[in-house]
Amino acid sequence: MISLKGLKHYYTDADGQEVKALDGVDLEIKKGEYVAIIGANGSGKSTLARHLNALLLPTEGSCQISGLDTSQEENLWLIRQQVGMVFQNPDNQIVAAIVEEDVAFGPENIGVPSAEIRQRVDRSLAAVGMSEYAKHAPHLLSGGQKQRVAIAGILSLEPKCIVLDEPTAMLDPQGRKEIVQTVQSLNKDKGITIVYITHYMVEALVADRVVVMEKGHIRFMGTPHEVFSQVDELEALGLEAPLAAKVASELRKAGHKLPQEIITDEELAQALCQ
Amino acid sequence: MLGNITLGQYFPGNSFIHKLDPRTKILSTLIYIIAIFLADSAVSYGILVAFAALAITVSRLPVMLVLKSVKPILIIVLLTLLIHMFTMPGEHVLFTWKFLMVTEEGLHFGLKMGLRLILLLLFSSILTFTTSPIVLTDGIECLLRPFAVIGVPAHELAMMMTIALRFIPTLLEETDRIMKAQTARGAVFTSGNLVQRVKNMLPLLVPLFISAFRRADELATAMEARCYRGGEGRTRMHHLAYGGRDFVAYAAVCFLAVGLACLRWGSSLCVL
Amino acid sequence: MSIKLTDVFFTYMSGTPFERKALNGVSLTIEKGEIVAIIGHTGSGKSTLVQHLNGLLQPSQGQVSIDGVNLAGNGSAALKVRGQVGMVFQYPEHQIFAETVYEDIAFGPRNLGFTEAEVDKQVRDAMAFVGLAFDSFSQRSPFQLSGGQMRRVAIAGVVAMNPAYLVLDEPSAGLDPRSRNAVFKEIMALHRSRGIAIVLVTHSMEEAVKYADRLLVISKGRVLFDDQPNAIFTQHQAELLEVGMDEPQVYKLSSLLRRQGLQLPEGIKDADELVKKIKQAKGWR
Repeated sequence: MISLKGLKHYYTDADGQEVKALDGVDLEIKKGEYVAIIGANGSGKSTLARHLNALLLPTEGSCQISGLDTSQEENLWLIRQQVGMVFQNPDNQIVAAIVEEDVAFGPENIGVPSAEIRQRVDRSLAAVGMSEYAKHAPHLLSGGQKQRVAIAGILSLEPKCIVLDEPTAMLDPQGRKEIVQTVQSLNKDKGITIVYITHYMVEALVADRVVVMEKGHIRFMGTPHEVFSQVDELEALGLEAPLAAKVASELRKAGHKLPQEIITDEELAQALCQ
Repeated sequence: MLGNITLGQYFPGNSFIHKLDPRTKILSTLIYIIAIFLADSAVSYGILVAFAALAITVSRLPVMLVLKSVKPILIIVLLTLLIHMFTMPGEHVLFTWKFLMVTEEGLHFGLKMGLRLILLLLFSSILTFTTSPIVLTDGIECLLRPFAVIGVPAHELAMMMTIALRFIPTLLEETDRIMKAQTARGAVFTSGNLVQRVKNMLPLLVPLFISAFRRADELATAMEARCYRGGEGRTRMHHLAYGGRDFVAYAAVCFLAVGLACLRWGSSLCVL
Repeated sequence: MSIKLTDVFFTYMSGTPFERKALNGVSLTIEKGEIVAIIGHTGSGKSTLVQHLNGLLQPSQGQVSIDGVNLAGNGSAALKVRGQVGMVFQYPEHQIFAETVYEDIAFGPRNLGFTEAEVDKQVRDAMAFVGLAFDSFSQRSPFQLSGGQMRRVAIAGVVAMNPAYLVLDEPSAGLDPRSRNAVFKEIMALHRSRGIAIVLVTHSMEEAVKYADRLLVISKGRVLFDDQPNAIFTQHQAELLEVGMDEPQVYKLSSLLRRQGLQLPEGIKDADELVKKIKQAKGWR
């Protein structure tokens, strides 16, 4: 579905310094996969996300979506229909003053017939559990609800893949839960490929694969178990490991035998209390 | 608190007029305004007032609410009246005092102009009271669309209005927040002379502008990511469609305008 | 020396159809030198509550006083004590406006009528506290800094007012774990060296239990609990869940291990302590 080869993105900052935001990234993402990308601020994860629907173009290397190269202009709108993007601030991506009008915005842009737009809007709002708010004004919704409207606005374009760039950074715990559940169900029930960027590691636990970035490179990747059991490496990168993994790692360091890949409370309990 | 400011003056309802197509309401208002300028006799003004009263009744808006909307222009109405009263020369002098002279013609003309202004505002406010800004935007876009060929940016104007409607509440909230934050840092926004006051506003205005630009930038990116590329090839979910009641409304205002035209020129034709 | 709220009620848009009661009789005292965390669901009234602490909102009923001075008055005494309470709002970097870092941080102390020499000293001290080197940052434009640095400039702008109480509304929101820890380290250092009272509004139970001596749980415009964090999290788990609050991860993990038969004491506060107690329970060394 997504194929990045030797992807580099350089730009010049306000002080005239060249910044290597991405410095050679190779990554393959399969159809239907749920990939979480984690990394500290400035690790290049947002820059990476913006390449996936051609908001940014590679300085070097290539980025292909279903075989379409993002650097070729004629592919632009096809790519943006296939890969939807949800941003951090829910306020700044909602265009219309009524929820359902906003969800209709995408399909209106690509010229979908009116009757079909109606169906798509209803389906999308139902998928994120916001049907009853169809006629509401977005500014009166909670953060989590606004972000779900933003997701519905992407769903109505019927994309194969959704990229979410720190969608929960500005939300309260309740809103965070809503988004994680919504995204999970889109992946499981609708088979949509998910690329989920976050620095809350709890939200990355539900992914099939976790990619850890640092300074424009992929440092390591693997299943959540493989990645989050690397407690010391994560902390060196300014990231946090789950509590259970941290405790297990401390106990191992003190010389006690515990299975390598403990990341959840239940796994630790089982290892300690059997 | 800034949170309770409602946009425009939309007064939700379910009346005949509320349910009219926005295009009908906009065009009917225009026709009524033309009719106002056709009126030249007491009878025709009486008909205009009666028609406005009928519209208010049908709209089921509180009468006081609609009348209140005239308040901001009362001063202008009064000035118009006075100017015409005192400056219009005429044969029937009603009243003189030193160099001031009031003629019957002047008084009539002043009253006429004042009444025209009031009716104009009254009728347009029925439009804004019964139509939400969002629907109004749709109506304006639809009416302007034929003029796109001569370069009227109908879609762009409508998109601008939509975004403005969406973000005004957000920016008001933000203003409130920044104001509180700067107040907590000891800022005072209301004292001093004019220069001082403008300077005092900087800690509010600078962050507000920066935030507005940041929002604009992020919104533009998000719109692009959602395949926005201008009005070309765009479809709409909602189509405006005329119903039976729209034709009734059109018939009523057209009848009014034609009737007033007849009253004006019909009688002069007779005299000839 | 304290901030004292006596039976405070607050209603938004009183007398309109949009009327909403935000505070329903809150009485509490915040002593100088305390670290108090305030948690509560969005809409619980906690933001309204903290805006009463320095007179940004005036109670509809009841009274707020700082160091014995009633905030309701508009006299100079009331204005002066308000300056004792520094407020760091959510995303405080959004209130930055001046051309240089120095000028922005100096805004507050100048408004309070400090002399230029005092202002200069306060700005330097505040920058040192938030870890921004004076020589390299004071003359730079704040708008060219990174998000984390801008947040520090904004916090320094409040610290430079030399407040006796510092209210912070989610100071770590939107930051990555490394910057989050750094910001808290600076706040704690400030507390230790100047003895400032810290009022921390947060969504994170972890932060509450890690940094605060006292925890206020707000629900429906009332103070539901007011106690040591440890006491609340061990004794009132069920009620906390009911008002939409979670318990800290370490409490969750400890109680799971206890249920599974490990002999752990109540009230384990962090990972290190948990590791130690597990070793004891298992008879490991």
